[in-house]
Parts: sequence; C-alpha cells; structure tokens
Amino acid sequence: MAKAVEVESLTVHYDKVPVLWEVSFEVPQGGLIGIIGPNGAGKSTLIKTLLGLHKPVSGTVRLLGHRFQDVQSRVAYVPQRTSIDWTFPISVLEVVVMGRYGKLGLLKWVKRKDKMAAYHALEKVGMHEYADRQISELSGGQQQRVFLARALLQEADLYFMDEPFAGVDMATEEALLELMSGLKKEGKTLLIVHHDLATVKTMFDWVILLNTCLIDSGPCQEVLTQENIQKAYGNASYLLNETKKLTETKSRGV
Amino acid sequence: MLMCFSAGIVGGLIFLQRRSLVGEALAHASYPGVVLSVFVASLLFPFSEAIVSVFVLVGAFATAFIGLFVIDRLEKKIQISSDAALCFVLSTFFGIGVLIASRIQTTHALWYRQIQSFLFGQAATMVDAHIYLYGGLALFVSLLFVVLYRRLELLHFDREFARTVGMNVKRIHGILHALFVLALVIGMRSVGVILLSAMLIAPAAAARQWTQRFDHFLILCGVIGMGSGFLGNVFSVKIGGEGLVLPTGPMIVLTATSVCILSLLLAPKRGVFFRLIRLWRFQLRCKQENLLKALYKGRRVALNPFFHFSMQAKGWIKGGELTTEGIREAENLIRLHRLWEVYLVHMGQPSDRVHRSAEEMEHILTPEIEAELNALLGSPKEDPHAQPIPRGEST
Repeated sequence: MAKAVEVESLTVHYDKVPVLWEVSFEVPQGGLIGIIGPNGAGKSTLIKTLLGLHKPVSGTVRLLGHRFQDVQSRVAYVPQRTSIDWTFPISVLEVVVMGRYGKLGLLKWVKRKDKMAAYHALEKVGMHEYADRQISELSGGQQQRVFLARALLQEADLYFMDEPFAGVDMATEEALLELMSGLKKEGKTLLIVHHDLATVKTMFDWVILLNTCLIDSGPCQEVLTQENIQKAYGNASYLLNETKKLTETKSRGV
Repeated sequence: MLMCFSAGIVGGLIFLQRRSLVGEALAHASYPGVVLSVFVASLLFPFSEAIVSVFVLVGAFATAFIGLFVIDRLEKKIQISSDAALCFVLSTFFGIGVLIASRIQTTHALWYRQIQSFLFGQAATMVDAHIYLYGGLALFVSLLFVVLYRRLELLHFDREFARTVGMNVKRIHGILHALFVLALVIGMRSVGVILLSAMLIAPAAAARQWTQRFDHFLILCGVIGMGSGFLGNVFSVKIGGEGLVLPTGPMIVLTATSVCILSLLLAPKRGVFFRLIRLWRFQLRCKQENLLKALYKGRRVALNPFFHFSMQAKGWIKGGELTTEGIREAENLIRLHRLWEVYLVHMGQPSDRVHRSAEEMEHILTPEIEAELNALLGSPKEDPHAQPIPRGEST
C-alpha cells in the first residue's frame, strides 16, 4: 500500500525567511498522526505546503502515492479556527455543505441530498440542533465541530487538521477524540497539528516532531524521548529563531 | 436602476472583504481615463455621442484597473500599508485627471462639460443609447454573480479551504476585480466619480444590518441600491422644478445613505434602537434580580411601585412576600454567584477578590455554562467563603 504522506527534502520559505529546512519523512496509512513542535516551528506551514497552499523552494510531496492535484477529492482540510472571519453572514449548515463543493464541481447547485448529508454530518458531531444558526453565535468548541462536520462531508481518506484542540471545551474535546478514533477504525489517516505535549502520548500512534528542521518522526514511543523533546523545545533551539530573524532583516535589506 | 443594482451587489462583496475604501480610490482612479477618452474620442468622432460613451467606458475601465493593479503591487511588493497605498492611488490618479481636464477647460469648453457630467453624474442627460449600453453591462455583472455565487461564497468565507477543494482562486479573483471595476464604471455615469463609493458601500452597510445570510445579503444589497436609484430619480424630478435643479446623482446617494442610517438605527438585531432597548431591559433585570436577592436574604427593601409591579408581574413576589417561584429564582442566582466564585478560586484568584466579578456574572451565566462549571468543579457544596451553594434545578 502507498504511504499516506511522503516528503522528500522539503524546504519552505515565507517572505524569504526559511520556515522549514530539508524536511523528509514518511507516514504510513491509517491512524492518528501528530505534528508536534513549539510555536513558530512551522507546523501549520508544513500541512499547508502538503496541501499545495504554499509553494516549497525545493523538495517533493506525495499524498497517497500521488501528487496532491490528482488525489484532491480524497483529501480533507480543517483550517485553524482563528483563520476565519466568523462574522461572515452564513449559517452553520451552509458552512458544512461546502464540504461537498469539491465533489459537486463549482457550477452545480446544492441539492436536497447534499443538504441531508450535511445535516447527518452535523448529527455526528452533535451539532444538528444548530443547523440554522448563524455562525457568529457559536462558541469556540462549536465552531471547531462545525469545521469537523465539513471535513466529514468530504469523505476523504486523508485528513489534515490544524490545531483542532486549541481553546475548545471538554465536551468538544471528547467529541473530537471519539470521531477521530472512529475515522481511524475506518482506516483513514489523520494528520493533526498539536501543541500540547502532555496529551501527545495517549492520543497519537505516530508523531512528527518538528522545529524548523525535522527532529524525528516515527511511532510515538520511539520519537518522544527526553532527548528529542529537549532538542525541539529546549534552549538550544533559540539559535534557530535568532538566525531566522537575521535572515529576515538581511534579505529585506534593512 | 440596474446600474445601482450591480453597484450594490459588488459593493456588498467589497464590504465583506473589509476593503470599503478601495471603491473610493478606484472611482477616482477612473477619472483620468474618462478625461482622456473624452478628449481622444471627441477628436476622432466629433459628433457621435454613442461612440464617445463607449470610449469613456473603456478608458475609465483601463485607468481604474491600472489603479487596482498599482494598489496591489504597492501593498505586496513594497509592503506599504493598505491605507497609504489607497490614498496614494486616489490622489495621484485624480490629480492627473484634474490636470488634463483643466487644460481642456480653456480650449474645448464643450468637452469639459461632458467630463464634468462624470464627476458628479447626470443620469437625467442620458439618451437611449446610454441606457442600453449601461443597462446591458449591469445585467451582465448581475448574471455573472448568479453564476459565480457559490465560488464567491466559498472564496470569501474560507480562502485556503477553497484552494484545497481545487478552486482556481487567482482566476476568480481576477474575474472579481474586473467585475468590480466594471460596476464602478457603470455607476459613474449616473452618480459620478466623487459620490460613487457611497453607492457601493451604503447599500452594503444597510443590508448587513438586516440579514445574516450570504445570498440574502447580496440580493438585499442589490435591491437597496436599485431602490435608491429609483427613488433618487423620482425625488430629483418631483421636488426639483422651476428654478430649483436637483441633480440625480447626489439625490441617489442621499437616498441610499438615508436607508443606511435608518437601517443602522432600526434593524431588529443590530440596530441601535433595539440594542438600546435590550440593554435597558438587561439593566432592569439586573436591578430586579438584585432586589430579589436582597429580599431572599431577609433584608428589608423599600420597593418603589414600579419594581413592585414588575416583579409581581414576573410572579416573584406576592403582597410583599416571595413566592416559591421567587425563592427558586433567588436560589439560582446565589448558586451562580457562588459557583463562579469557586471557579475563579480554582483558576488561582485569591478568594477575597472574587466577589465583585461574581456579582456581575450571576446575571449573565447561562444554564449551559452552569452545567459545565458544575462538571468541571465536581458539584461543589460550598463557596470559597464556606457558604453553602444551593442545589440547582438540574442536579
């Protein structure tokens, strides 16, 4: 079986500042995969690059054995909750239906069938009572669940989630975990950006430990050694940030 | 009217992008295009109104588009903040336009008058050819909106997600920019360069007050724009008359802004008027609840007749005594108050500092938050001051 994700010497710059350097790893299909690292380590940048949202300076990415464009319909993306303007005039159900847009083609109208599917996805995350609500009325956890419902509607094999647990309530956290383990049982692969070290070991099967460079990737126990965590989070990593800042000023010429 | 409709819906999108000023800048940026094309067209085809107006459209479109391009470059490449970039484009382009226009003014007075009609707009002087031309274009803009509706929705709500489902974001943005400039150019003839941005933004600001849905919002923007266009024309004809000339452009804009102001005041959810009422009712309720607590704690409270009446109407008191309903309500308040205190102490606040916050939160906490608090804190029996927490209805 093809690997879920194969990354080969990936380097990404953001405004000429290096964010990821020569990152290479492979992830098997099926299971929960954590992308772990301190703030500014390039976790979000990594999944955005995998999804083709950022252009890498060099390196190759393969998803499910293909280029992203060829497996687009089998990949779902849950952006960071805070990246969206939640005052946008739109209802919960309309947001979830967007999960179908990729498959529908963008010119066809949304049919009743699609709306029913969206409603069922909302049911799975326990949000069906909010279907007609305005999105600005939702709490943080509810927003996250709506996003998850949208991803469920995409019926993908590979899910990318950016910080789904950031700032959500306990009920949402439990609902998310339950859904994720459900998806895992169906053989799906979930790549999840996560920042809370305390819960990593119990949550994930596989971990990608990152701080601009790849520290290590592999099964949870092997990667999360004291030494590796020290490398990613410890004092030694501050030099990385310093040099990043320097590159920024130099390359802008100020 | 169609022109105002298309200006309305396009304005709606700009409004949601929070780039309202772009309309203002681009309207001004189109002015040199108008001036130049009147000049060129009149030189080549001195007697044909229709050809001149086509030329004007193209010219205005071109310079406005250049303006948009310059703004974009300034922001992205040289990293000038967007307000500075907008001001720069607005004043520079408009300045060039004025410069050329004043040159023409002295030599070709007739052309200058034609140019002036674009500055302030003169819907009344339009002839049939104009109407077909502008109407057709406006219809085209509106139709494209219908076709692109779902892409626009997705693009404006969640741009990155849009790209992951295979949408060509760059192309749609290109189309949108073209549409935007087109709508500007269309509206210019009736409202004028200077007042045009009001025509874009006023309907959008008004519509946003009334609806929470994207499709309704866009339609409403268009309808308000169209209505203002119609009423503006009617007013300028009806009110104006002998000796009093009311130009249509400003009338349309005034109508649109009146609708906007009325909406800001009167819309049921977000309008100032109803917000004040809700605020007043909330304050009233806080006072009532405080009185209720005082009564419950056995203090002697002198109720003025108004509060006496309103609390009796709620069924909290009867003949100066608390009813069971009133007691339940009071216990609930105290419960929320003390639960909140426990929570704050749980979060590391010193226990002598929590009373004031709880005094406010007891009026605000919802049953859902109460349930969460209760679960989080493990159904506490006492508050940080060792006073009992009344049992809730749910537990």
